[in-house]
Amino acid sequence: MTTTEGPRPGDREIVPPRKPPRPWWYWAVAAAVIAFTVYSGRRVGFSLTSLKDLPSNPLWEKFWPPEWDWVFANAIDPLIETFQIAILATLVGCLLALPVSFAMSRLTSHNTYTYFGSKAIMNLIRTIPDLFWAKLFVTAIGIGAFAGTLGLIIFSLSVMVKLFSETIDAADPGPLEAAEAAGGTHIASVKVGVLPEVLPNYVAYALYVFELNIRASVVLGLVGAGGVGRVLEAQRQFFQFDRIMGIVILLFVVVFTLEQISVAIRRRLV
Amino acid sequence: MIEFKNVSVTYRGGVKALKNLTVTIEDGEFVVIVGLSGAGKSTMLRAMNGLVKATEGSILVNGTEVVGAKGRRLREVRKQIGMIFQTFNLATRTTVLNNVLMGRLAHVPAWRSTLGLWPAEDKERAFLALDRVGILEKAYVRASDLSGGQQQRVGIARALAQDPAVVLADEPVAALDPVTSHQVMGDLQTINEDLGITTLVNLHFLDLARTYGRRIIGLRAGELVFDGPIEEVDDETFREIYGRAVTPDDLLHEGAEVE
Amino acid sequence: MTAPTEAEVAVVRPRMARSKLVFRYGVTAVIIIGAVWSFTSLDISVERLRTAPGDIWKILRLTVPPDMEGDFVSRVFGKVLESVYIAWVGTMIAALISLPLAFMGAENTAPRWMQLPIRQLFNVIRSFPELILAVLLLPITGLGAWTGTLAIGLHSVGTLGKLSTEAIESIDFGPAEAAQAAGGNRLEAIRWGVLPQVLPTIVAYWLFRFEINVRASAVMGVIGAGGVGSELINQLNFRQFDKAGTVLLFTILVVLFIDTSSAAVRRRIILGGGTSESANTEVFRDLSGLTGPGLT
Repeated sequence: MTTTEGPRPGDREIVPPRKPPRPWWYWAVAAAVIAFTVYSGRRVGFSLTSLKDLPSNPLWEKFWPPEWDWVFANAIDPLIETFQIAILATLVGCLLALPVSFAMSRLTSHNTYTYFGSKAIMNLIRTIPDLFWAKLFVTAIGIGAFAGTLGLIIFSLSVMVKLFSETIDAADPGPLEAAEAAGGTHIASVKVGVLPEVLPNYVAYALYVFELNIRASVVLGLVGAGGVGRVLEAQRQFFQFDRIMGIVILLFVVVFTLEQISVAIRRRLV
Repeated sequence: MIEFKNVSVTYRGGVKALKNLTVTIEDGEFVVIVGLSGAGKSTMLRAMNGLVKATEGSILVNGTEVVGAKGRRLREVRKQIGMIFQTFNLATRTTVLNNVLMGRLAHVPAWRSTLGLWPAEDKERAFLALDRVGILEKAYVRASDLSGGQQQRVGIARALAQDPAVVLADEPVAALDPVTSHQVMGDLQTINEDLGITTLVNLHFLDLARTYGRRIIGLRAGELVFDGPIEEVDDETFREIYGRAVTPDDLLHEGAEVE
Repeated sequence: MTAPTEAEVAVVRPRMARSKLVFRYGVTAVIIIGAVWSFTSLDISVERLRTAPGDIWKILRLTVPPDMEGDFVSRVFGKVLESVYIAWVGTMIAALISLPLAFMGAENTAPRWMQLPIRQLFNVIRSFPELILAVLLLPITGLGAWTGTLAIGLHSVGTLGKLSTEAIESIDFGPAEAAQAAGGNRLEAIRWGVLPQVLPTIVAYWLFRFEINVRASAVMGVIGAGGVGSELINQLNFRQFDKAGTVLLFTILVVLFIDTSSAAVRRRIILGGGTSESANTEVFRDLSGLTGPGLT
């Protein structure tokens, strides 16, 4: 009883099944993806040498040391403006999103026209990047933080509506039915039957949108929509790399800190 | 031959899962380990291939010390030991064949296996292992598309493909229905008898232990409380191992008699 | 029925935990103070609030109908395509870099000393918006699509790395344990026990990131880092609103096309093989829930 040999070739004649061939489209898709990647790479000027030489480029020295005195004297006020934009945009955007989300959810929308209408419009709004909106508003109402705030309100609204309406979709329909069966009007029934269930998600999403807005707001100034990006853009025009570096480091520290705080609060909420 | 000498396992947090265990298992035996959950059955099996580190004592597998073994030496021990898991532990999103080939990892250079360039002989062994458990035709099917019983057979085939001296089966039928349970236990029995592979099985169904085991090891709270051939086992033995009377929950078939 | 005694009332009325109440009121107060402070500091008068909608509507109306003159259309379409190329190559670069890093950052596949630095690296990279990275890179790599591609690729390493790490950590480690029990080393256990389980999810994340990157690359042109953004800025600066309309129209069409087709492919990948494991559908819901400009 000491033989310890497993199955060996030649023990027995077996006919292993044949490996099923890949479907015809497998190779077609693979070839198409590779071709598209290579073509795209050439169109954007991909080059390995450029990638390799990137860290050793002598121009980097001009970024260092950052000109801190200048940064602290000139970038702090615009930075504060940036966060004011983010705060206001988050608040207004998320408040507007509340009724729109209920109109856009299959669970709470009773009117087919408002359901499909709001859905189509929000989808359309979402396809346009936030900075494009900001630029449109700058053109319409002039340079400054107001245009930036409006741009981010649109952005917050579109993200929030998407996230929140899908949460409402997934809510338990029971309480809503019960409230309506008890004779409540539609809006009143939604308020008592659905809102309490999804409110914690709403607050968590709002904080998430705030994090996105903080990051989005720092670049608004590049199109003249206020905030610290304006300073960045001006120094860029004058090739003041050491000041740019200072601003970027400052931005990083503040954005990173605010984000961690928001993440911590979100974790406590949900 | 597997020799446990004064083996203790203490988990982080201070739980003593195995206390001063001394047992010897001869080549070619079919051993069933019984005990309540938490009695240390699983710890005993996993200590043999180093998935659980023994904190004291010595475990010799065919003369090689497992306790304290690391890296290449540990992998050499594991190469001789096939393992079958309660939850099958298959990579469900890939083919049955790829799962069985995992059993050949210790036999094939790492670069070949990593790139999927398995030698023909190793593939042949995988096919033979699948044939032995009767699901050769499923070789190129995604593992997730198989039934529970078939998945466990893939698990057995994976262990067989290792060409092991020992097979450890950790509650191999806990996730299966009664009919499939018997098929899987039958497979293990055949492997033990035909190939002479030493087989250790953890079971919590006493009627299955009775039917298939030839030697029974009983554990209670990490200690060895029974060790003997099946002929010496009766209701009283189980009562001692469990520390309570046998209930229908301890049996695979309701109404089955232990004695 | 007799009136309840005071003691009984105290029993049946549960109170919210004090710390929870403090937390809730604290957050509310911060929000209100922040809002008031922001509103009063920013230069927003009631007068401007009243006229703004009219001004915006006027401009939006002027973008319709867009200028559909042949040469201009093909130029705009070319620029939109350039944005797509930038997004694709950037995503591919990020995918290649983030995949090995993700395994080095996950707690079930990497030693402890390696996890923390890698995770922090992801967090740091993620905090730099693409455009800020592009501003830094611009003097080095020059005007053009390559700068935008690098910025997008770099930023996406952070986001893809984080998502992939989480995907790896959420899998059942059983198959990898089986590979180790069979005598495989750590790399082999990852290759055969972990990779097949997470790759579909991770590839879906890549596609998802590509959708986001198409929007991000459209914006790159604002600072001259390639793509359709420069075209929009120019047309709006010269107040050629019908031409700006063309740019918006093609941006919308291409973004919609990519979102829809990519989402369809993602669904196929995640649910591939006809299984409906709950983990899969959960991942899919996560993904669909966050489509859009979010998750940057």
